[in-house]
Amino acid sequence: MPDVTRYEAGRRVRGTLALTLGLGVFGLMMIAIFPSISASGVDFEAYAESLPPAIQAGFNVSSITTIEGFLAVELYQFLWLLLLGLYLAYAGGGTVAGDVESGRAELLLAAPISRARFLLEKFLSLFVPVVVLNLVVPLFVYGGVIAVGESLSAVDLVAVHVLSVPYLLVCGSLGLVLSTLVFRSDVAQRGGIALVFALFLLDSITADTDYEWLGTLSPTRYYDPTEVLVESTYDVAGATVLLVAAILLVYASVAVFRRRDL
Amino acid sequence: MGVLSVRGLTKHYGDTVAVEDLSFEVERGEVFGFLGPNGAGKTTTIRAVLGFHAPTEGTAELFGRDVRDESALLEAKRNVGYLPSSPAFDGDVTGRRYLDFHADLKGDSRRAELLDLFTPPLDRKIREYSTGNKQMLGLVQTFMHDPDLVVMDEPTSGLDPLKQEQFNQFVRDERARGTTLFLSSHVLAEVRRICDRVGIIRRGHLVALEDVESLLERGGKRVRVQTDPPLDPGDLGVAGVVDFERLGPEARFTFTGDYDALLDALAARTVLDLEIEEPPLEDVFMHYYGAAPDAREDDTEADESRDDTETRNDAETHDDAEGRDGAETRNDAETRDDPGADAGTRGDADGA
Repeated sequence: MPDVTRYEAGRRVRGTLALTLGLGVFGLMMIAIFPSISASGVDFEAYAESLPPAIQAGFNVSSITTIEGFLAVELYQFLWLLLLGLYLAYAGGGTVAGDVESGRAELLLAAPISRARFLLEKFLSLFVPVVVLNLVVPLFVYGGVIAVGESLSAVDLVAVHVLSVPYLLVCGSLGLVLSTLVFRSDVAQRGGIALVFALFLLDSITADTDYEWLGTLSPTRYYDPTEVLVESTYDVAGATVLLVAAILLVYASVAVFRRRDL
Repeated sequence: MGVLSVRGLTKHYGDTVAVEDLSFEVERGEVFGFLGPNGAGKTTTIRAVLGFHAPTEGTAELFGRDVRDESALLEAKRNVGYLPSSPAFDGDVTGRRYLDFHADLKGDSRRAELLDLFTPPLDRKIREYSTGNKQMLGLVQTFMHDPDLVVMDEPTSGLDPLKQEQFNQFVRDERARGTTLFLSSHVLAEVRRICDRVGIIRRGHLVALEDVESLLERGGKRVRVQTDPPLDPGDLGVAGVVDFERLGPEARFTFTGDYDALLDALAARTVLDLEIEEPPLEDVFMHYYGAAPDAREDDTEADESRDDTETRNDAETHDDAEGRDGAETRNDAETRDDPGADAGTRGDADGA
């Protein structure tokens, strides 16, 4: 592992473990209430249909009474798509802005290390939460599903996590771009959160309107956990779009960062 | 060829000119003091030299490599150590982990030896460090890869007087090993103890470049003396008395003449009290680099307010793109000033 990445990754371990444990336990709790929801006889489909279209689209509320649909809405649309997306944008926003703001970057860049390498290696450290969360949380989910006597396609579960990686990287790289544009970590971090949330809203509120094309600007358009879990449909093209977007955003960050006075 | 050459370096931040057409060379093996009041452009120059800020015009070379060319700059940086004025670290790692990290980036052939000299608590997290411990950690990371050139921005500002003397001795030893040192300061008394040569920067312009010896000769000494009866102008009859003034029984003047003559003249009187001290840097400027005497008060103030302006402008350039509020941004701009102010007070106390 490259030097800066190893160092930064080490600093992310503790937070990542805490987040992983938190999300894993939250997942288990949600799964634990599923049997009572499906047994309650409440017409959740009718409830879902009564929600505004934007919310239906935003959280892809459908077939909430099957375990797949339930997981898709309660865990993946909400936790993975929205919450983790925001988290990665926040983490991306904190990559270099804080270092430059505090003067820590000067000490590092006085060493023989290029700005491009510095930025790239910092970005690579975001793989720590992305990889650990996607490796460990599905184990909690699968175990929980088995424990409540339901069944779930392991392949779909793996796919929903694998396909989330490009999405999360795009969120992280949006934060990274802000981090190179604004050398103030709080602004870059909150800006990252606001940006990803705004894009999420854009995709949600334009769904099924004449402005639906606007949603193509949002990364959320290219990753649909419900589709994967409920219909076993994998949007590989969407994942590719996200991957290319992430690479372009990182490239843009490098270009900006190399030109700026620190 | 100098180890560090600054060639016509100019840096503007928006409309503010931070440094203008600066040129000087630092020769191999010398200790070069970069002296000037706060806000004169010292840090700007250092940032440009190390490639953190791009020059508006002109350039600098490290070991003959142009700092505007990133790959050339990186090659040069293998041999450069840098200590910022108030070094900032990641608080969540231990000192040891931080040094390990820097060792990966640039080597650490001298780490053990330096840790005999400077002793930060390596197994504690850096956020628990005192200012002095941070400065020591900074010094270790600056020298650990045995660089040929070391650049230090206000290096003694965070050190107490005892550590300061230790630091001075360390600098002399480094010089004896052949290391070239470039250090900035706003305290003349500090620079005169360790530097061979001094460049003085004022309002972004280089106003003097000379040996410490001749600088001090020209700067003279500040003398305060109480005699019975009190002295009047011309009483002493010795050449080299400048700016004579009387405050009650006390006579004050700057003396640039022959010390024996002064002492003889004083010995002929009843001396009640006597202080001879280093003149403040501003006085050296006033008398020898062309400021009109009546501009003195304004000048000092202007320099101080300029200090603010510069850092704030600095912040603004960072701000422009994102429209953040200049006054409350970049905490480091403030922290960078504070130790400076401390050192100023300490320097004065030291001289007195």
